[in-house]
Amino acid sequence: MDLNFLFVSMLNGVVYGAFLLLTSLGLSLVFGLGRVVNFAHGALYALGGYALLAVIRGAGVGYWPALLLAPLLVVPIAIAIERTTIHPIRHRSDIYTLLVTFGISFVIIGAIEYVWGTGTTLLKPPQPFVSTVDIFGNQYPLYRLVAAGVSLLVSAGVFAVIQLTPVGLRIRAITDDPGMAEALGVNTKWLLTLVFGCAAGLAAFAGALGAPIFAIHPEMGMSILLDSFLAVILGGLGNLPGSAIGAFVVALTKSIGGGYIADWSTAVLFGVVAIALIFRPTGVFGRGRVA
Amino acid sequence: MLFAAGAIALAALPYAGVPPFTITLLTEAFIFAIWAMSLDLLVGYTGLVTFGHAAAFGLGSYAAGYFAREVTADFFAALLVAEAIVVGLAVTIGFVVTRVSGVAFAIISLAIAQVLFQIAIAWRPVTEGMDGLVGVPLPKIAGFTIDAGAEFYLLTIATLVLVYLGLSRLVASSFGRTLQAIRTNEERAAAIGINVRLHKWIAFTVSWGVAGIGGTLMVFMKAGTTPMSLHWSESGNVLVMAIFGGVGTLFGPMIGAVAFVFLRDEFTTRFEAWQLAFGLVFVVVVLAFPSGLAGIFARAWRALWPTRS
Repeated sequence: MDLNFLFVSMLNGVVYGAFLLLTSLGLSLVFGLGRVVNFAHGALYALGGYALLAVIRGAGVGYWPALLLAPLLVVPIAIAIERTTIHPIRHRSDIYTLLVTFGISFVIIGAIEYVWGTGTTLLKPPQPFVSTVDIFGNQYPLYRLVAAGVSLLVSAGVFAVIQLTPVGLRIRAITDDPGMAEALGVNTKWLLTLVFGCAAGLAAFAGALGAPIFAIHPEMGMSILLDSFLAVILGGLGNLPGSAIGAFVVALTKSIGGGYIADWSTAVLFGVVAIALIFRPTGVFGRGRVA
Repeated sequence: MLFAAGAIALAALPYAGVPPFTITLLTEAFIFAIWAMSLDLLVGYTGLVTFGHAAAFGLGSYAAGYFAREVTADFFAALLVAEAIVVGLAVTIGFVVTRVSGVAFAIISLAIAQVLFQIAIAWRPVTEGMDGLVGVPLPKIAGFTIDAGAEFYLLTIATLVLVYLGLSRLVASSFGRTLQAIRTNEERAAAIGINVRLHKWIAFTVSWGVAGIGGTLMVFMKAGTTPMSLHWSESGNVLVMAIFGGVGTLFGPMIGAVAFVFLRDEFTTRFEAWQLAFGLVFVVVVLAFPSGLAGIFARAWRALWPTRS
């Protein structure tokens, strides 16, 4: 097939990968810290998109301030969810948090439908990025490139926090060995609450940032949730650099494969991930945790 | 006795003036009940939570529906073909997925179900893609057509009763007790010489096989199916039914399936917020009543008649 088509597919893949990176980092962090498989992550992503709408319409502000405010609205909601539902069952088997977050996902999506309806909202790309740019003769929407750049910057920020700050050190300590970290005086429970909130904030930010690209509807987080799972599993649960690579592998496979073998590409992707998880439960790079 | 009386009473409903719409809902609920019981064999009895049980149900639907439309509408022939395919795949998949348990099992089963979902979308010559399989004829038994409505309802009840009797035998057998030992403590079960993996493998296969029966009934009831029958949200729904009703018992998932179908009908016609309300109820059940509705009933029963054990 022609090279130009391949190029545009790749570009789309990179843009989507940048979004997956944001959502996957949150999923991976929360799992690494508390072994919580957060099925509500996609719903929180959607909530970010709706929070953006609410701020734009309610406060009458422009897109950019709303993009900063929307995640800040979602973080306290997520912290409240963690304290009331996940925190009380931490002593039970891991599978319960999976079931509870699945129920929470129902609740959030249901609440979204109740408040905002089931319709789809298309948002125009914000000023000053409404135009398209010429890349090798293709008219590509400028906002996509900007949004991908912002995603990458924020993700780099997350890595910096984890690697360079005292909080990041504690998070890495818990991911390595929760018992030892706690024995050394790290408050693992509050840290999980905090990280759960921040991960939800990242997801919400991704939802708001992607609103002008992917449109806003109640189920918008479902496919990105599954893709983030794939990314996180490929990279090894709890292994952040692995998740980052996984995000781009998933996004590029979907966009390039989708162009050539249509819907089969996703089938292949899920198959590969299932096989990877069975034979390398620690992820392809072998550094993650056994799920 | 109580069970037989209950089954006969339920079977008499269409002839006792119950409106056809309620009979349709009941038929759907009882098909889901078969599916939810099959899930409970994994979740409640073996301790394997799966997020991909729609795979077995949907695959059964596709196999039976395609065969009935292309070859013959005979119910037992279609069931046999569906079972051969579902069980065949379950033996293969079960062999590999039973290597893991816990969260890994939940996610692998989800991924495998999504593979089938994507294949159902992509393999258009057979599955007709997103449009789904349509035009499945009414089933025939010994040459007689089973009409939609009361007759199909009776077929569903008969199947449900047989499945229930079979599964209650199974869980009470030494095999069933071994499964429960594995659920309670996998390491200890292995230490006393139980072949944990073999037992999980068999439980997985039986569970898929029973779900395939449900899928076969469903494709005849709806006269077709769509890829959504394989989607992970369906796997979530059946998990909700089983847990809502109470896992680890066979009655629990049945109650859960009936409650699910009727509550969904009630909520979607009266309120806007079916997902919101049901999600809240589900979260509360998981947090506060891990033994589900069945557990609540049992507790209430003991509170009312403390002397009966």
